[in-house]
Amino acid sequence: MTPVHILADEPPDQPPEVLLVDDDEVNLLLTAMALRERGFHITESSGGEHALQLLTDWAPDVIVLDAMMPGLDGFATCRRLRAMPGYENVPVLMLTGLDDDASITRAYQAGATDFFVKANQWSLLAGRLQYLLRASRTRIELERSQAKLARAQDLARMGSFDWRRAGPRGSGGSLMLSAQGLRVLGCGPGDNLGLRAILRLVQRGERRSVLRLLQGVVQHSSVLATDVPVSLHDGRQRIIHVEAEPEFNEHGHSVGYTGIVQDVTDRRVAEDRIRHLANFDSLTGLPNRRQLVWRMERAIEHARRLGHPCAFLMIDLDRFKIINDTLGHAAGDELLMEVAQRLRACVRHSEQVMEGALEAVGSRAHRTLEAVGRLGGDEFIALLPEIGDERDAQRVADRILEVMRDPVLVGGQECFVTASVGIAIFPRDGASVADLMRNSDVAMFSVKSQGKDASAIYSPQLAGRGREKLELESALHKAIERDELVLHYQPKVDVRSARMVGAEALMRWQRSGALVPPGDFIPLAEESGLILPLSEWALREAARQARIWQNSFGFADAIAVNLPSRVFERTQLIEQLHQNALAYGIPHRMVQLEITETGLMKELQSVIPALHQLKDINVEVAIDDFGTGYSSLAYLTTLPIAELKIDRSFVRDLGVTPQSSGIVTAIIAVARSLNLRVIGEGVENLRQMEVLHRLGCSLMQGFLFSQPIPPDDLERWLQQTVLPRRAPWIGQAGELEFGGPAARAAGGRPY
Amino acid sequence: MRDICGDGDQAASLSSPTFMLATSPAPQLQPPVLPRVLDEACLQRLHELDPQGANRVVERVLRAFEASLQRLLSQSAQALGRGDHEAVRHVVHTLKSSSASVGALELSRCCSEIENRLRAHQVDGLAEMLSGLDTEGERVLAAVRGMLPQ
Repeated sequence: MTPVHILADEPPDQPPEVLLVDDDEVNLLLTAMALRERGFHITESSGGEHALQLLTDWAPDVIVLDAMMPGLDGFATCRRLRAMPGYENVPVLMLTGLDDDASITRAYQAGATDFFVKANQWSLLAGRLQYLLRASRTRIELERSQAKLARAQDLARMGSFDWRRAGPRGSGGSLMLSAQGLRVLGCGPGDNLGLRAILRLVQRGERRSVLRLLQGVVQHSSVLATDVPVSLHDGRQRIIHVEAEPEFNEHGHSVGYTGIVQDVTDRRVAEDRIRHLANFDSLTGLPNRRQLVWRMERAIEHARRLGHPCAFLMIDLDRFKIINDTLGHAAGDELLMEVAQRLRACVRHSEQVMEGALEAVGSRAHRTLEAVGRLGGDEFIALLPEIGDERDAQRVADRILEVMRDPVLVGGQECFVTASVGIAIFPRDGASVADLMRNSDVAMFSVKSQGKDASAIYSPQLAGRGREKLELESALHKAIERDELVLHYQPKVDVRSARMVGAEALMRWQRSGALVPPGDFIPLAEESGLILPLSEWALREAARQARIWQNSFGFADAIAVNLPSRVFERTQLIEQLHQNALAYGIPHRMVQLEITETGLMKELQSVIPALHQLKDINVEVAIDDFGTGYSSLAYLTTLPIAELKIDRSFVRDLGVTPQSSGIVTAIIAVARSLNLRVIGEGVENLRQMEVLHRLGCSLMQGFLFSQPIPPDDLERWLQQTVLPRRAPWIGQAGELEFGGPAARAAGGRPY
Repeated sequence: MRDICGDGDQAASLSSPTFMLATSPAPQLQPPVLPRVLDEACLQRLHELDPQGANRVVERVLRAFEASLQRLLSQSAQALGRGDHEAVRHVVHTLKSSSASVGALELSRCCSEIENRLRAHQVDGLAEMLSGLDTEGERVLAAVRGMLPQ
């Protein structure tokens, strides 16, 4: 807050305004002249009535009144002006006679600020006026700062108090609350609220402990800081923060406390809300993952100590994604809320855990841990903190499957959802929360892979295909909805013009912080059939990225997506490509498909129709790893394909073994004769680039240019490497054919 | 507190050069006819309010005093006629301080005496005292007129 004295001591910019009232014109004239000479701005008035008239539309800084005047004298004038709004505190100096004590007394009674004996000693009068003005300014600043403080306290719902200890003979301890303090406690400014009355406001259950706390604090003269729940007279329940410090007299004895009371209810409610949000799922109101893990840890501790088993049931809805996709997210949410209600009814669900009681030996308080929680998406967990044996868990699982079988009304439509439940039991199936969650997940996933809508108890044999693989599969199953998949992009370049001509999208899986190499999950995905949703996702993501690049740097080529042959066999492929192009507003040709030569030849007959349909909608197809399979050249001539990608094994050996350059030459010749583009993959050094280029293939991709990188990095690569023509391969390629800067100018679009 | 005007050191004020109303560019004023009627030290203090005479302060004050004295003397006579002692008291109270301001110390002393008596409700001999006041008032009036330009 601004210190009052700074403002108060500052001389005002304007000369002080003085209203001088005297009926004697000689004195009026002389006093006015003398004061003007000393820097005052004087307004003269010859009588009380006239002066009051002036004051109705003008306010001087100080008023000088002659006491004895005909008509309205100084005393009456003073009394009248004090009654006028705004003039309660304006300084008034009363001019009295020399030996007129009665007038001095009357002056003060009439509300004058001070008196001055009439004389011609102008300097003394001027000095007195200066003093009155300074006192008045100080007073105004003080009032202003008090008003500010009161306002600030009101805003903060805060007030102050002052408590004096009872005297040594027990004579009256006293409590003074500021008007703001009284308001905090629901009282008016005039109310008298003693300590006893305040204690009666404290909610009954808390009264004893608050009193004990106060006694302890006072006894030790320590600082008081606590929150007290109160019930105010008007019935409002509030939480009041009390903070006070002891005061000591000159002998060092504590004489009382000064401090503040503040209504912190809103803050406490917000804190509780935050705590709730941190521990409970906002959609279903069930405990969330964090709260569940905490409960599970407690449950395991208890089970270990008391020697009983406990069970985790992993519950995953079947076909939830379809409902979400077809009926929309709002319907999906509605469904999840209904499912949450049903699941909650299957266990003895406790909203709150009796935390304090959990530690008591022999207590059954751990049963309050029992709950259903939502892990996220359509995954729920039921925690049974104490079971007799696994049949108890099985019974709960059966109940869950049973309640799910009733149709759920969502958006006015009946939906049928089933669930797959996996059960893991402590201590048999794991000793930690992580182990038990993983194993219940494995058991749940085994249900999924065997046709869903059932439950299974974990057993090591369940992981028939190898436990890790099962886990991986189970995790991959969730990868899409958890947004764990990403596409990285490797640019395709034309070394002749030194520009990017497209990019190949390569899938990456970010699983708990680490990047899983495609070799570790693509084969598994193909084996389990998960490759279908993964491919659908990749096509959609590539279309989305093409649109982003189109916007950010005018990208107009194609992003190539690798698809297994079985995706080509699916009738939905064409429809999906349509949808993606429509959804992201890009031409169909901006997404290109790659199929391996081996894959193509194996399923040739079933793939051919798709290839024709793709050609019809301008989606180009490239044959990947070309040269490794056993392509029938006869078929090749009839297939509607656009591009051959020379397998990296031949590129690697270029310039090393003569055979490799022979094969590459042959592939290039075939491509030329069939009017196909040809591109060399896996180009890692300048020598390979030169040879490929010399043999007639200028389109390439490989580490020499760029590794597969995240989309933002690719933009940066374009900006920092290709556009400024900074990479070693750029000069090299230009000189190869055109020999210098001319080629650079002729390069056209840089990507 | 000392007396309202001057220190009563008549000798000192009499031995100083005769006070002149040197108010250029105002026309030269006449020297006072009766120097003892108006105290020179008081007149000097008035003069100090406007040393260059640019604002004709002394002239304006004396003119105001002349008018007010004339009015007050007639007011006191009327009040006495009515027997309105409170009005008389008002007149002498006002005249007490304004006459002191211009150096009419004897007049101021008369006023003060009458005011004190009236405050104590001593009305015997009031007529005589007011008559004395009148005489002194006329003397002062003559002196003031003598100082003002014609």
